[in-house]
Amino acid sequence: MAHASSLQSKGAAGTLLDRAFEARDRYEPVAPLPRVGIFGNGFPEILVAAAGGLPVHLSMGRLSSTADIDEVIEPFVDEEGRIFLNRLMNGEFDDVEGIIFARDDAPALIAYQYATEWVRQGRAPKAVPPLFLWNLVHTQTPAVERFNAVQAEKLFGFLERIGLRRPDDETIAEASAAESRRREALKRLEAAGVSGATAMRWRNAGRFMPAAEHADLLNAALADAEKVENKSLRIGLIGSPLASPASYDVFERYGTIVCDWQPWGAVWPRPGNDKTTLADILRAAAADPSCPRVSPTTAFRQALIEAVVNARCELVLCQLAPTDDTFGWEIPALASELESRGIAFVNLGFREPDHETWHARAAALISAKLGA
Amino acid sequence: MTSTYVPLESTKIATNHQRAWAKSLQQQITSGATYAFVNADTPHELFHHMGLPIVTNQWWSAIIAAKQLSEYYFDYMETLGFHDRLARYSSLPLIAELEGDRERQPWGGLPKPSILCARQSADDHQKIFSLWAEKTGAPLFLFSTPAVPDPHPDWWRMGRSDWETLYGGDRLDLMVDEFKELIAQLEELTGRPFDHEGFASYMEAINEQERIYEDVSEILATAPRSPIRISEQIPNAMIPQWHRGSEWALSHARHFRDELHERVKAGTAVVEEERIRMMWIGAGLWFDTSFYSAFEESHGAVFAWSMYLPFAADGYIREIKGDPLRALAARVSAMNEQLHQPPWINAWMVEQAKKYRIDVALLLIPEHDRFSGHGSLFAKKALEEAGVRVIEVWSDMVDQRQWNREEMTARVSTVLDAVLAEKGV
Repeated sequence: MAHASSLQSKGAAGTLLDRAFEARDRYEPVAPLPRVGIFGNGFPEILVAAAGGLPVHLSMGRLSSTADIDEVIEPFVDEEGRIFLNRLMNGEFDDVEGIIFARDDAPALIAYQYATEWVRQGRAPKAVPPLFLWNLVHTQTPAVERFNAVQAEKLFGFLERIGLRRPDDETIAEASAAESRRREALKRLEAAGVSGATAMRWRNAGRFMPAAEHADLLNAALADAEKVENKSLRIGLIGSPLASPASYDVFERYGTIVCDWQPWGAVWPRPGNDKTTLADILRAAAADPSCPRVSPTTAFRQALIEAVVNARCELVLCQLAPTDDTFGWEIPALASELESRGIAFVNLGFREPDHETWHARAAALISAKLGA
Repeated sequence: MTSTYVPLESTKIATNHQRAWAKSLQQQITSGATYAFVNADTPHELFHHMGLPIVTNQWWSAIIAAKQLSEYYFDYMETLGFHDRLARYSSLPLIAELEGDRERQPWGGLPKPSILCARQSADDHQKIFSLWAEKTGAPLFLFSTPAVPDPHPDWWRMGRSDWETLYGGDRLDLMVDEFKELIAQLEELTGRPFDHEGFASYMEAINEQERIYEDVSEILATAPRSPIRISEQIPNAMIPQWHRGSEWALSHARHFRDELHERVKAGTAVVEEERIRMMWIGAGLWFDTSFYSAFEESHGAVFAWSMYLPFAADGYIREIKGDPLRALAARVSAMNEQLHQPPWINAWMVEQAKKYRIDVALLLIPEHDRFSGHGSLFAKKALEEAGVRVIEVWSDMVDQRQWNREEMTARVSTVLDAVLAEKGV
């Protein structure tokens, strides 16, 4: 088991998960594997693992200093894209073999296009790793299946070019076994009665380590995790990607987040990662209802409502990045649908750069709804 | 400094034609005829060829805005619970539909379409069209839109014949397959079979039309002084574009070219002493098109370029190569992206600015229509490095609430003053 010697003391595994979450893409896993950067949601990480690489998500990092590319990034570009592009051009990803961008995640396409153009213009530092656009289409038709199979071939070619092996049935099955163990551990995490904030941190820690290591750490952490006080109000969290423990703490003053359906919540790892064949991985990934671009277009809202209802949420909180231009189209219909089912809905609106102000406003809105 | 500007006869012909077409369409659809409501970057050719009338989302949006209704609808949009940072240009017709008072809308509003069609070029298009489908019950056909992973900057050259390399065989295969799915739906809807042979001729006719616009663009770019305002370029390019490949469109394109040619030969110009040439980058400022002539008298500055006319040739001419559906896929599969994504937008802007001898560019950056705003600062940087002064216009093509004409006029005037000083005028 990974970290076997260091996990003897109570709480050690949880501490390691917290550290990994805090370190984000700078976390150093136990097994040194070739690191492959992933930007955006919707790429089946299993395919990098099957190629012998470590998929490391690069979209949750923090910005220390800006680079020249900042001058061409419009203010409406998503914050994670801006941070990534600056870090990329500052050479912070010199240690990854290549970076894969998920086309159907809004910030990822822009990040890919801006990065490749900056490189093409000869303005990027030499250390920019090879970049690859994962063009998977989120629809299920025979034509799309054929197209997605071609994209997998292109991906395999890229993985080979950056020095990894070509995934085959055997390595996919091996990677799938590790992903299945992770999925089981994550199911236990969901049922463990820990706070939504803890679940978010421990789940997302897995974006920076191998699936097997993540599963081991989760199992160890859950063995001695302390359950939070059983608050009566069951909360659902939806909207834009959010990885702020402080925001979770504010929301959980009112209850426990039992359904985290925002893009950095329990929708990860995305469908397909635990499948055992390439065809099944692609099919499941293409049908992922948590992708805002999935077709049929009604699948996204239906899946969200189903998740909230199945989790028996009594209150749903919606929060938005200041750059949102997609989720906002769902809000009136969601609010109406949830309220008709007796589930309270609070639109907290746009997050603000000043966290104190934003948290105070969020708390006031929730209090007002609950007091009404 | 300004001579009395005489509009082209072509402009009157085009707008009259569109008005008559709109009236006839209105009569047809209110009498129960089927029609399609489609986004601008979808394959209109398939609908035209099947004889199914279309109403284009962005055209209808511009019509609503020109009727000064956008402010009302965007205020209403917020009362529905949609936040104020969502797209405007592509959503204005949806909001009018949701509001439901047809008498308020131009033409007395649109009845339920028989089919809706959009490409997933922008992330929000499918959301907007999905809401429209939910409201009306009309079926929605969505085109998948994988991106071009390795975009060549000089798309306007490669796109003519080497489109297989430019757009990627896998993307074209997918789009052609999806065309076939749409054609099957249209055949069912109209009760008519798709005439493949006739479609090849139709595609040739469109190429011919767009080649005429290539001549027009050459005339405009090389004329010593700009012979017409962009407010006339736009309808003369776009109205035939909505009817592309039809006899009327071809005939109008020729008439427009000939009239323009005569005007240049006669030495007619928008301003007698043209001192500054400007380009308007982005969609039209539909609620205030008179802004395009605001600096003629004060600075001898004329807007010589808007994307609609030169894009007719660069964005539409696609060699048929014996496969008209694939050539259509080449035209459509990155149509809008070429206008908004690096390296395509920055490379084309520089090429066009040089060709049209541009001094100053006004760059519309619609921050709440992100797809149309992305790549703007790449374009700005490229233009500035090419010696063009760039003025950022953070506004919206249909939402006048964000537009302060006085302030913008002052900002532009300051730059124009500096340009004149540099030129020693």
